[in-house]
Amino acid sequence: MPELLDIQAGFAAALRDRDRTPATQAWLSGDGALIDRRMAIYRANMVASAEKALVAAYPVISQVVGDEFFHGLAREYQRRTPSTSGDLSTFGESFGQFLAKFEHTQSLPYLPDLARLEWAAHRAYGAADATDFDAAALAVVDDEQQAAIRFQWSPGLAVVGSRYPIVRIWTIHQPGHAGEFSVDWDRAEIALVARDGLAVSIADCGAGDAAFLEASLDGAPLGDAAATALQLHPDFDLGALLGRAFAARLVCGFTL
Amino acid sequence: MTAVATPVSGTGIGLRQPHYREVFERLPALAFLEVHSENFFLDGGASLHALERARAAYPISLHGVGLSLGSADRLADDHLAKLKRLVERVEPALVSEHLCWGAIGGSHFNDLLPLPHTGATLALLADRIDRVQSALKRRILVENLSAYVEFRDSEMTETAFLAELARRTGCGLLLDINNLYVNAINFGFDPVARLAELQGDAIGQIHLAGHAVVDDCLIDTHGSLVCDPVWLLYEEACRRFGAKPTLIEWDTDLPALDVLLSQAAQASVIASRFDEVAHA
Repeated sequence: MPELLDIQAGFAAALRDRDRTPATQAWLSGDGALIDRRMAIYRANMVASAEKALVAAYPVISQVVGDEFFHGLAREYQRRTPSTSGDLSTFGESFGQFLAKFEHTQSLPYLPDLARLEWAAHRAYGAADATDFDAAALAVVDDEQQAAIRFQWSPGLAVVGSRYPIVRIWTIHQPGHAGEFSVDWDRAEIALVARDGLAVSIADCGAGDAAFLEASLDGAPLGDAAATALQLHPDFDLGALLGRAFAARLVCGFTL
Repeated sequence: MTAVATPVSGTGIGLRQPHYREVFERLPALAFLEVHSENFFLDGGASLHALERARAAYPISLHGVGLSLGSADRLADDHLAKLKRLVERVEPALVSEHLCWGAIGGSHFNDLLPLPHTGATLALLADRIDRVQSALKRRILVENLSAYVEFRDSEMTETAFLAELARRTGCGLLLDINNLYVNAINFGFDPVARLAELQGDAIGQIHLAGHAVVDDCLIDTHGSLVCDPVWLLYEEACRRFGAKPTLIEWDTDLPALDVLLSQAAQASVIASRFDEVAHA
């Protein structure tokens, strides 16, 4: 009998490629036809596990393309990018990159950005609960030190920009969506993904706010992040943004 | 090695997301709830919040599906670390894993794949279980598997393998009656004779579930009612080992909560005819 390592490598090869199944006959019971039928069950399980994880992370994309097409996407993505973890909540991070390259999704060019939005929402869903922060604590910072403030943002906070109306597309596919379903396809949108208590909120984010938040999330101090945003978007209003951020409890702390 | 949490007795169900609200509102009389450990490998948020709410009302059983105890190349230390963090957070009554492998060479199949039951595999599994039990600082239960292929060179039955594993490591066993029945049909053996290979005091929990029938094969889907032959085999296990904490496991095509509760009640009626201590 071969070593367990060789058996598992051979089993794995047969799961990925049906043509490699005959090699398993050396150590599996039954004839070739039986083994072929039984290995097909494991092969189907492998795809089903990947598909279930991807549907959980990408519920809007699965609605947009439909169950049958999504099943095909899951199968192909799993083939190209096998899972590497027993924790399937981590599976699918590069789905957006796959959709950008895959020949059969080229007619839906907004899908990769929608995927980045959904992955950010998936991450925010399981992110650590935000700690309470009292904005009054900022009063201790001297005026000349304010530009050096580095905010700690609530876990899961993310900014996802697109040439496409991804916030609108996401919104009209939510289970509780009431109202009309029109989409202005010429509208470029930036999504602000954040935890709101235990829920995940997705909101349309102004370009100046997005530039500030992206710089700040990257670790830039307040002064530099605000300068970056103002340079790109002269109408950026730092005070208004911070007011909204404190009200929505997006700030959990700061360092100097 | 002693478990720190209170052991459970009685019947429980698998808690799945579509039933959260109803379970929290009704708080049905159940001995415990079981969840898949990996669904809660998160830093925070709604899922963990729901689990903590469940934990406040019931003992919890953490049932792992992704640790891959039998991978020949490595035990996933990062996965074990996530499980340890969850165990510390939830303080579950029971922690269980499967007698299987699922990953090799960095790829994970996210499935419960079968192992050859040889002395070499036994040595590997005993080492892995020692590592897991010392990392978690508690006894774990290891579950028998549903399988669709078996190995020519297995040197012992799965039940004999598990009995020896329990003897070597002090781990407990999670006896899945449906899995035993599925394999009995798929591979043509007498499941009652297999029960005789187990020691009752090693069995810490029993699973009951439904399966699907496809061509010449039973497939373990956890998507239907427990079938009559599995109920009979459960009764035989209770007669032999005494009543054990028992779980109704349902994962696909999830029905109304009342269907699970009615299956749990049926298990309780059977178990109630037997003492919790094994008959001689």
